[in-house]
Amino acid sequence: MSEAKKKVTAAVGGFGRYAPVIGLVLVIVVFSALTGGGLLSVVNLQNMANQVIVTALVAIGAVFVYGVGNFDMSLGGAVLLSAVLGAMAAVRSGSIFLALAVCLAVSALLALIKGLFSAYIEVPFFIFTIVLGSVISSVVLVIMGSETTVYLKDAVKPVPSFDFTQMTIINVICLLGYFAVCLFLFNYTPVGSKVRMMGGNRISAKQSGINDKKMQVLTFLISSVGIALAAFILIIRTRTIGSQTAGSTGTDVMIALVLGGMPISGGPKSKISAGLVGALIVTVLNSGLTMIGLSTGVIQIVRGIVFIIVVLVASFSYRGRLLPR
Amino acid sequence: MANEKELLFEARKLTKHFGPTVALDEVDFKVYRGEITGLIGENGSGKSTITSIAAGMQPATGGEMFFEGKPHRPSTMIEGARLGIGMIVQEQGTVSGITIAENIFAGEEERFRVGPFISRGKMNAEAKRVLEDIGFTGADPSAYIDTLDMQSRKLVEIAKTVYNKPEMLVVDETTTALSQHGREIIYNIMRKMKENNKAVVFISHDLQELIDICDTLTVLRDGKLITTLDKERMDEATIKKYMVGREMKGDYYRADYGTKISDETVLKVDRVTSGSGMLMNFSMEVHKGEILGIGGLSHCGMHELGKVLFGEEKLLTGSVTHVASGDKIENTQSAMKHGFGYVSKNRDTESLVLTASIQDNIISASYDRIAPNFVMTGSSVRKFVDEQVESLSIKCAGVQQDVQFLSGGNKQKVVFGKWIGRDCDILILDCPTRGVDIGVKAAMYQLIDQMRKDNKTIIMISEELPELIGMSDRLIILKDGAAAGEFKRSETLDENSIIEVMI
Repeated sequence: MSEAKKKVTAAVGGFGRYAPVIGLVLVIVVFSALTGGGLLSVVNLQNMANQVIVTALVAIGAVFVYGVGNFDMSLGGAVLLSAVLGAMAAVRSGSIFLALAVCLAVSALLALIKGLFSAYIEVPFFIFTIVLGSVISSVVLVIMGSETTVYLKDAVKPVPSFDFTQMTIINVICLLGYFAVCLFLFNYTPVGSKVRMMGGNRISAKQSGINDKKMQVLTFLISSVGIALAAFILIIRTRTIGSQTAGSTGTDVMIALVLGGMPISGGPKSKISAGLVGALIVTVLNSGLTMIGLSTGVIQIVRGIVFIIVVLVASFSYRGRLLPR
Repeated sequence: MANEKELLFEARKLTKHFGPTVALDEVDFKVYRGEITGLIGENGSGKSTITSIAAGMQPATGGEMFFEGKPHRPSTMIEGARLGIGMIVQEQGTVSGITIAENIFAGEEERFRVGPFISRGKMNAEAKRVLEDIGFTGADPSAYIDTLDMQSRKLVEIAKTVYNKPEMLVVDETTTALSQHGREIIYNIMRKMKENNKAVVFISHDLQELIDICDTLTVLRDGKLITTLDKERMDEATIKKYMVGREMKGDYYRADYGTKISDETVLKVDRVTSGSGMLMNFSMEVHKGEILGIGGLSHCGMHELGKVLFGEEKLLTGSVTHVASGDKIENTQSAMKHGFGYVSKNRDTESLVLTASIQDNIISASYDRIAPNFVMTGSSVRKFVDEQVESLSIKCAGVQQDVQFLSGGNKQKVVFGKWIGRDCDILILDCPTRGVDIGVKAAMYQLIDQMRKDNKTIIMISEELPELIGMSDRLIILKDGAAAGEFKRSETLDENSIIEVMI
């Protein structure tokens, strides 16, 4: 490679690193214009904040899972099952702490199942998670029986409720706390470095003494905390959990990670910020598309097209080394 | 006939660069009809590069080629084959999971079409005939290729190549993997080609077979054509002189002889049969501070031995014991706990994460040293990495550069750095100088020798006899998964006595 070309690559590489943030600014500007500022109205900002929290909590944790190269398509299902069982626990006991504990336990159990599967069974992991996702939604239907929704107001004793300020504080603590812990683990401890190496080359990582099975289980457990927090926040905010809860979370998270600059196959170029930035982009996108009056079906189509374009650009630029992924 | 030889293939000023490495440097090379042209040179001298460019496996960086008088620029192996260049390579060239006949006629199934169907009966009958033509009898063409052993698969490959009736046949280090019977089959094919006024290019490390078979012999060194010898001038001493040249003298390998090996055993391999079955009831002991060389033919089990020592391969029976602690080595973690390091033969697929930075690769085996308290600080990482980059003089734009953009030699230095940084006591090196240029090679040998002097134990597995002879205190030769012979370090040890044991 010539000197000049190297410089160009470096410059473009620098640009590539900020591409997701530039993308975020771009969608905000475009949709603000299209909605005549409606996008950034107070009501809609609150609305978007609610959505971002859930998507971001799941997406940030998923960076660990996707980072080692495990493409997990059961994330939405995991949020749903945790939320349903957590809500049921709240209804039976009236305690929100028990609800949180159940959310954590359920998602941790799912994490262990996924971890054991990916570590010991030689079937492409994403296929397993597709199956797991649909099994989970069936399990939810079975658990809920004839009812379609769990209402917190039906609890044996009143479940504490939160006003707007309190809710905001809980949201911020959960999101920032979880983001900070993940950022620390991913960038300043061996955990993150091991995840990146495993995603880059599993064999080499193993030969460097990285305990592959243990690490995989660990990544699912880290991700499960985010899932549990997301489920918990859904419970206390909406106070009603149905079989359709978190229905679009799974795809939102996937789109978020890709838009946030996460390499779809994981590896050394994985980054925690992808979860947060991506969740912001996808939320603005969803909200903006709704506000300009598109129907749900059309929104799904647009989201699909955006997703495919980003994946294409990412894989092109991988070959041409435009964006360092 | 001898005085009006007909030129079949010609390369003029053929040049090939791999990044900064010059694999071929303006080589002029001619192949005549009715002749067997030998090519010889050390590994990395450019022998296979010439033939692979001619066959269309890779493009040249510069120069011209002519085939049958016409400019020759094949862009794929298929085009090369269509033009009449057939190639038998060192590596496995058959496709698993399909039958012998399907392997031979891959891509030509149309010929056996009966109506809308492909007739397996016709295909198998034709395959049987093709195999018997080259003297390979007793195989059932409808059987899966996986039922054949290494040598028979090679013969199927040869049958396939010859079946396409090439004008020029390239035999690239094929014979090393074959028994005497298999070799005879190849020799016969080459002689037949010659009689039919076709041409053969024969690449081999075995001087004697080259002298026996070839009409002319071209010697390459470091990508340059050194000389072409005719039949009268071919003798081992002359060929070696040209092959090695002058710069190989001195301290290329270690210079000492008669150094006493410590009696202290650090590692004990006790009647090991490996999961892949490549090692059979194998036992050995490794002494502290020695360089133990392990050699053999490509499927003798030596590469598996490296993995077994590092706990990377499951054992059916037997054990590997770290003597000082009495612990059994059962997985990578237990091996590393006792200071083992392992450099795989497959650098790019096993030893490195190509898309990761130099820094990430170097620290990837030493998290316990860099982050004993779980927190990885920038300064401890930098100190660790800079030390390795400096002491190994890894040439890079910066430690954040992706390893994939480094040259082969520098990549290998990164792998070494990964283990040296850990301060390993027992280093298992599988083909440590594979695909590395002469300069880095010399540096590696010095490094290995220095580690020996620092009382580290080195197990060096290699396919290159000169490096095993030059570096080892002891040399164990494997054959069919068992020890076939052991040699002590000596100035008089030569390749021939080792090769005898190997085959």
